[in-house]
Amino acid sequence: MTTRRDFTATALLGSTALAQPGRPHVIDAHSHLPFRLTPEVVDADRMMLDAAARLGIDQLCVSILSPERPVSLEGFRKGNRALAKVTNEFPGKFLGYCFVNPGYGARALEEIRHYVESEGFIGIKIYNDYLVTDPVMAPILELAGKLRVPVLQHAGHTSWLPSPQPNISDAGHIAEAARRFPETMLICAHLCGGGDWEWSIKALRDAPTAFIDTSGSVADEGTVEMAVGVLGAGRVLFGTDLSMTASVGRLRGAQIGDADRRKVLGENMAHILSRRRA
Amino acid sequence: MIDVNAYLGHFAFRQLRYNTAGGLLRLMDRAHIEKAVVSSAAAITYRNAQSGNEEVFGEVKNHRDRLIPFAVLNPAYADWQHDLKVCREEFGMRGLRLYPNWHGYKLTDSRCLELVHAAAAHRLPISIPFRVEDRRQQSWLVDIPNVEPREAAALARAVPEARFIFGNTSGLAASELGRGDNLPANYSIEISLLTALLTNEIGALLRSLGEDRILFGSGMPFHYPEGAVAKLEVLDAPAGVKEKIARGNAKGLLGL
Repeated sequence: MTTRRDFTATALLGSTALAQPGRPHVIDAHSHLPFRLTPEVVDADRMMLDAAARLGIDQLCVSILSPERPVSLEGFRKGNRALAKVTNEFPGKFLGYCFVNPGYGARALEEIRHYVESEGFIGIKIYNDYLVTDPVMAPILELAGKLRVPVLQHAGHTSWLPSPQPNISDAGHIAEAARRFPETMLICAHLCGGGDWEWSIKALRDAPTAFIDTSGSVADEGTVEMAVGVLGAGRVLFGTDLSMTASVGRLRGAQIGDADRRKVLGENMAHILSRRRA
Repeated sequence: MIDVNAYLGHFAFRQLRYNTAGGLLRLMDRAHIEKAVVSSAAAITYRNAQSGNEEVFGEVKNHRDRLIPFAVLNPAYADWQHDLKVCREEFGMRGLRLYPNWHGYKLTDSRCLELVHAAAAHRLPISIPFRVEDRRQQSWLVDIPNVEPREAAALARAVPEARFIFGNTSGLAASELGRGDNLPANYSIEISLLTALLTNEIGALLRSLGEDRILFGSGMPFHYPEGAVAKLEVLDAPAGVKEKIARGNAKGLLGL
């Protein structure tokens, strides 16, 4: 008997998937859990797992962002401490990104080393405190390359000024950073939540080591097809950024081959995770 | 399923695929959507919106069993009264679609109220998308704000005999429109941008407005329709309620 979960995962693969043995392993490369003041598991964590299961998502790569801007040292430390508790409670389900403000220099690097090397976090999450091309980011990008973990970089490109986020990076900045640090796996965040997605895809064309995640609330038809067409399926990662049905819907609807869909849904992120230094 | 939020034609700032009748029907078949309310995407930026209505009329004339045309009218433009008459009597259009911020008027302007009264007199539902695109991706040529929920609420209150579809919107649950406080029950909300999980806006609106006032819509071909279908699929609601959202409520509103 086909369960609802089997059906939704099969639907993610497309209409020909019924002929495929097994179902795809689906990894959400970009999600979040809510900030909390103390390191404990909260109902929202379980709700997230339930929502993911209902949509056929097997694993979620998550960060906990602290709410204050600019991000404080104590803020990101609290978030990472709480996330370590969650990832230990749900091993293999939630995979942690260590969130830091790069402006804290050595203390940010120490935070990353601790959570990647001692707590099993799988990557680094950077928000909009600095452009990814700012010199303060260089030690972080270098460390990520050494640890062989990805950097998920918040990004967006709008055509109107002033931006409500003055230090937001766009895909052009990420392409430049990827050229400077070719050993580092940079992920341009939320193709579908970062403004002009056509611009973003084109700006990443000539940065072959950079990835893009498909997350976001914008449901525009054609986003996945263009990303796969311009960048190649190997550089596109499924993500939700909490916009879960819109994000699953775009992968269900995208007119790409099943092999490419499998890459986007999970194989690419699994490969990134496998590169992590033991 | 009946989709109350679909388009035909070109949009000024982005290529739309599946934007002919044939293309849209392929998209509908793919997503198991039986019928769709369609209106002109081009008319959003045409000065004379009626040209867009003429294009849609031409596109749907061999597909009236599945494509239900709505007329984009601009009450701030000359001769809309004639356009309304043509769209209703000659083109057989079943409702109206308004873009107040793209066409340069307020929903509570006297010109708009005159149009809404005329629509109500002919029992034409009025569909108002609160946005066309996510504002973050708008072209450098335009800076069009979303329709404010309070403006739509004021219109609903001003013309209680009219019937409205408010769509392409989110975050309504805590608003006057979402709560339905002291407002006539003359409007429905379309789901394309609402959440069905976590914050579950659809669930909140079902509780506050009731199961008869939520409508399935996708925004295709701007959007992949599969996202809206997924919302219905995972929504925690009885099958009968989902059936109403998927088609029953739209059938009643459109007189099908």
